[in-house]
Amino acid sequence: MIRDLKKKKENQQEKRRYSILDLSRLGVTVVSPYIAFFMLFLSSDDSIASFKKWTLFAEASTSGGGGGGGFWSYYSVVSPSGIAIAFTAMAGIALAATIVYSRRSSLKSPWSIRKRKHALQPKEWKSLFTEDGKLSDGGVKFMKKVRSGGVDPSIRAEFAPVHQLTVMSACLTDMASTVRKKKENPLEDGKGKGMKACGNGAVKFLNASSLEDVVSGRRSHSTEGGSPEVDDSDILPCDQSHQPLLSSDSVLEGDTDKSAITCEDGSTGESESSDSDSSEELENPPLFASEITEENGIGGDENANSVASGIKGRSKYNADEDFAMWQRIIRVDAVRTNDEWIAYASAQASVSEIKARELAESVCLKEYDHLEPCRIHHAARLVVILEAYTLYDPEIGYCQGMSDLLSPLISVIEDDFLAFWCFAGFMKKARHNFRLDEAGIRRQLNIVSKIIKCKDIHLYKHLEELQAEDCFFVYRMVVVLFRRELNFEQTLCLWEVVWADQAAIRASITKSGWGKMRLKPPPTDDLLLYAIAACVLQRRKQIIEMYGSMDEIMRECHSMAGQLDVWKLLDDAHHLVVNLREKI
Amino acid sequence: MAHRVDHEYEYLFKIVLIGDSGVGKSNILSRYTRNEFCLESKSTIGVEFATRTLQVEGKAVKAQIWDTAGQERYRAITSAYYRGAVGAILVYDITKRQTFDNVQRWLRELRNHADSNIVLMMAGNKSDLNHLRAVSEQDGQALAEKEGLSFLETSALDATNIQKAFQTILTEVYHIVSKKALAAQEAKANASIPGQGTTINVAETSGNTKKGCCST
Repeated sequence: MIRDLKKKKENQQEKRRYSILDLSRLGVTVVSPYIAFFMLFLSSDDSIASFKKWTLFAEASTSGGGGGGGFWSYYSVVSPSGIAIAFTAMAGIALAATIVYSRRSSLKSPWSIRKRKHALQPKEWKSLFTEDGKLSDGGVKFMKKVRSGGVDPSIRAEFAPVHQLTVMSACLTDMASTVRKKKENPLEDGKGKGMKACGNGAVKFLNASSLEDVVSGRRSHSTEGGSPEVDDSDILPCDQSHQPLLSSDSVLEGDTDKSAITCEDGSTGESESSDSDSSEELENPPLFASEITEENGIGGDENANSVASGIKGRSKYNADEDFAMWQRIIRVDAVRTNDEWIAYASAQASVSEIKARELAESVCLKEYDHLEPCRIHHAARLVVILEAYTLYDPEIGYCQGMSDLLSPLISVIEDDFLAFWCFAGFMKKARHNFRLDEAGIRRQLNIVSKIIKCKDIHLYKHLEELQAEDCFFVYRMVVVLFRRELNFEQTLCLWEVVWADQAAIRASITKSGWGKMRLKPPPTDDLLLYAIAACVLQRRKQIIEMYGSMDEIMRECHSMAGQLDVWKLLDDAHHLVVNLREKI
Repeated sequence: MAHRVDHEYEYLFKIVLIGDSGVGKSNILSRYTRNEFCLESKSTIGVEFATRTLQVEGKAVKAQIWDTAGQERYRAITSAYYRGAVGAILVYDITKRQTFDNVQRWLRELRNHADSNIVLMMAGNKSDLNHLRAVSEQDGQALAEKEGLSFLETSALDATNIQKAFQTILTEVYHIVSKKALAAQEAKANASIPGQGTTINVAETSGNTKKGCCST
């Protein structure tokens, strides 16, 4: 690593194009066999390629937390009934906006009463926690509350990270409660204090073109943030993997959090996670993650270097050829993100022009002169995170459409580290949409087709006649999860509901808790596909009577933008779930 | 077989737009079919299409123009759309040398997947950005000649040569189709058997009776 450092100095010029992103501290003590810490930093490696490589270091932590502190500590909460109900699941469901809880015991979807109760307000949200930061009564009240009215957008930023980061760790956790012990409102307060420092510091970091910059960046931002004492070992990447370039501990509360990291019920979490994994078809952890698991095992601090070399060797397989292309396309896509998000992210909207241009320059963004500062900044953040993702998951790399998925996330989440991991969590399922072999997309189109067939054989036969029963006309909806058809707010609402379902499944609420709480319809991993089928079914008459080719149906689907009622869509989707779930 | 369909148009020609990501394919399409241009038009996921009906030598021709995703990842999907296309416009960005260098790859792609008689045109887009030019017009012209393509520099932003590009390719297609049709007729007259010689495939017979040339 020291050698790498020297190489870096020599290659200053070359490296200038690269940003350094260290995400290590967002990793956590997890109970799943997967990664605990990722440390991502730049390393130029002449032996591998002519262009610089990123290196991803991984540090698996022991369940005892040997890897040391982190901000997000995860542990599962076992409810009195013995059913593990993760906070995350609740949070995920909290994301599910506007659900009307129906007490009727019929098979009708609760969504059929679409009058929204008021959304969960920040004050209520706080009141749902006990003094020690846990959800009172195992989260049932919370669940009901959220199911009946959704959540207020103002607390949205708290949920996406909670949900997505747990997806990452693939285990049930109570991350927020730990944080909550320290702060009333972790993300908001955090942003005000430590996280703000991180936000700025991170940006500096991400821009740093040399490790020296990184170090100084780290120092200065630690000071700015007034975070707990930082010892210098933190900033030496080579000093065994346990201390990353930029540790989020200064960002997020500091080392004091280490003590709070507990793994109260590792075994529960582990079994849960394996359950959920098995339930997710085609679930392949990203290449790096799996490699880390294999090679580093649990608590493999000492193997960090060998892991790194393993990763380098592996990434050579396909990244060499494509990374440059991905870099180019990421930049092309980053500058053409629309401005819808601005209204929902006032802090980011007011970013200074200097800061925005600085960041843009540091990530070699071009052709952004026509954009206003906040959009330049947004585009540069997209580049940083998407590029990091290509290294994190080189099997998928970058595929057009991924920026559509990331843009709403970074609008809600101001911190790059957090945003990256949320995105990685989001992609854990969505990555299959972008697979080269199209297996993921075909499977999903197949499900949409099946839903239509089961629900409406007449329509299905018509599609067959047009040779459109493969449902290729909804391809775009599947790939970018309705992002192109819905506006910003609608998209987040839909995604949140989808995440909520997925969270509920991970929490195994399906089998027991769900029934108990009389929350129907049952959650499904494929809610989005039901929604897509629903929107096709909504147009059945038109399709049958007016459209004589697949092209026309596709055109219809593509022209839905701005014309969909997301609540009606979810209502219909839930109806389909209730009625067809067993058959699909 | 060029389909003669009802009163709205006499011919339906399917044209595909191909080329690297970000060269401006979607904007060429929107400029031509809707007279719109959007600097922030998002990446195309899979394929999209729009239509426009125009007059070619006095005949109403409906052009169904398919815009395809530029990224290789989507190639499997987009290449399915080459089938049945009678024309292809291969677009590169004059400010990005690499997109020009990739033209060969796109040609290979077409030769592998498209009809062998497909009419090809190459368009060097973003000609409004002359100050950023990385590919000279001569280079474009030379390549086009070498490969036997017609060539134009276009700008979707200021609409330069957009109409002309489509008019050119559609006219060329029309000539081939009408020549084939004529040959088929003659063959029929001579042999009094149905002509089978059509090698140009024109897009599906959509019994489309909907008017309108714009769509997303």
